[in-house]
Amino acid sequence: MSCKEALQTQAYLDGELKGAEAAAVERHLETCAECQALAADAADLSDALRNATHYRAPDPLRHRLKKELEREVRHSPARRFWQGAASGVGASALAAGFALFVLLPPSAATLSQSIVDAHSAALTGGKTIMVASSNHHTVKPWLAAHAGISPPVTDFADQGFTLTGGRTDEVAGSRAAVAVYAHGNHEVDLFAWPANGAQLPEAGIARGFRMAFWKSGDLNYAAVSDVDAVAFQKFVALVKAQRE
Amino acid sequence: MDDRRRRFEAQALPHLDAAYNLARWLSRSPVEADDIVQDAMLRAFRAFDGFRGGDIKAWLLTIVRNCWLSAGKATRRRGHTSLEDEELTAPESDPEATAIQSGAKRRVDAMIAQLPEEFREVLILREMEDMSYREIAEVTGAPIGTVMSRLARARATLRETARDCL
Repeated sequence: MSCKEALQTQAYLDGELKGAEAAAVERHLETCAECQALAADAADLSDALRNATHYRAPDPLRHRLKKELEREVRHSPARRFWQGAASGVGASALAAGFALFVLLPPSAATLSQSIVDAHSAALTGGKTIMVASSNHHTVKPWLAAHAGISPPVTDFADQGFTLTGGRTDEVAGSRAAVAVYAHGNHEVDLFAWPANGAQLPEAGIARGFRMAFWKSGDLNYAAVSDVDAVAFQKFVALVKAQRE
Repeated sequence: MDDRRRRFEAQALPHLDAAYNLARWLSRSPVEADDIVQDAMLRAFRAFDGFRGGDIKAWLLTIVRNCWLSAGKATRRRGHTSLEDEELTAPESDPEATAIQSGAKRRVDAMIAQLPEEFREVLILREMEDMSYREIAEVTGAPIGTVMSRLARARATLRETARDCL
């Protein structure tokens, strides 16, 4: 590697650069043969690495871990939740949080909490898919029948997001339809639920999952996944651009 | 269920596969990966009160890496663990396609397994766990500039190895 910009080009290819920095690399790529080769090689390598084994935690380990955690709890001295919460700042913060929770359901924070809860509960329980199909003609009517909501469902397999099925779930107390997509080894959940005037949260990351929220027609949407930022934005753009 | 345990399970367990994948690639041994992950998850649970939000996946993987470092120093010196004890691949309808695919899989796996540790870990975190440079820097404790150059070296090494193999 002799080009001084090679690391910057790599950062661009890894989706690390935005705005002016990204534009600068794009200009550089027009003229630098070495970085053009780097970009081509990076794409080939990425394809090849998709073949590599993504190991999954074996079930016996999962079970043993649950048991160990249980034992850990039994042997640790009892911790009273109120002890920490009742002291000073904790108490007022708790009281404020509680008041907000009661007065403004569902707040933006509740919504994003609810989405991450639902997504990780489904992942942990292995119950992400209730109807397995890559055919939107199967998933859409299933969701309509079971969730009472019929969002547009499109397979984006050609763009790297394969429709794998759907499920019903709950978002802050509302019935939600979830279309489930696979991106490599990662899962992307697309939630849809009736818009009820509640304010939608900003896009962001919670507990390692990326989230985006938007409203379209009379439905609210949320996408949630642990894919990288570039793939996530691509997915959101695809969904927003899809036709009813 | 105990509230702390419920919160821990809800937040940490969705990243158990990522924890195992990293442990498995670092140790290159299913037995060691099991021990590392179990150790890491229990340490994470004990330290969970100290976790003040932020990126739990990066936090967990940092602990996994530390457990691997402290557990494996002696065992790792034994050299390469063989990749022969692979799990069985699921049966496919087209045996020929499966053979070609698993052949390619084995070659790619072997190439990654042969990378030096400091290159292997950044590659796994970037290419398999889709982590940002900042997150990789957090997990490996290396500055972002170092992450970038290691990633470049890891990729260059893989490209050269691939060229030699073909």
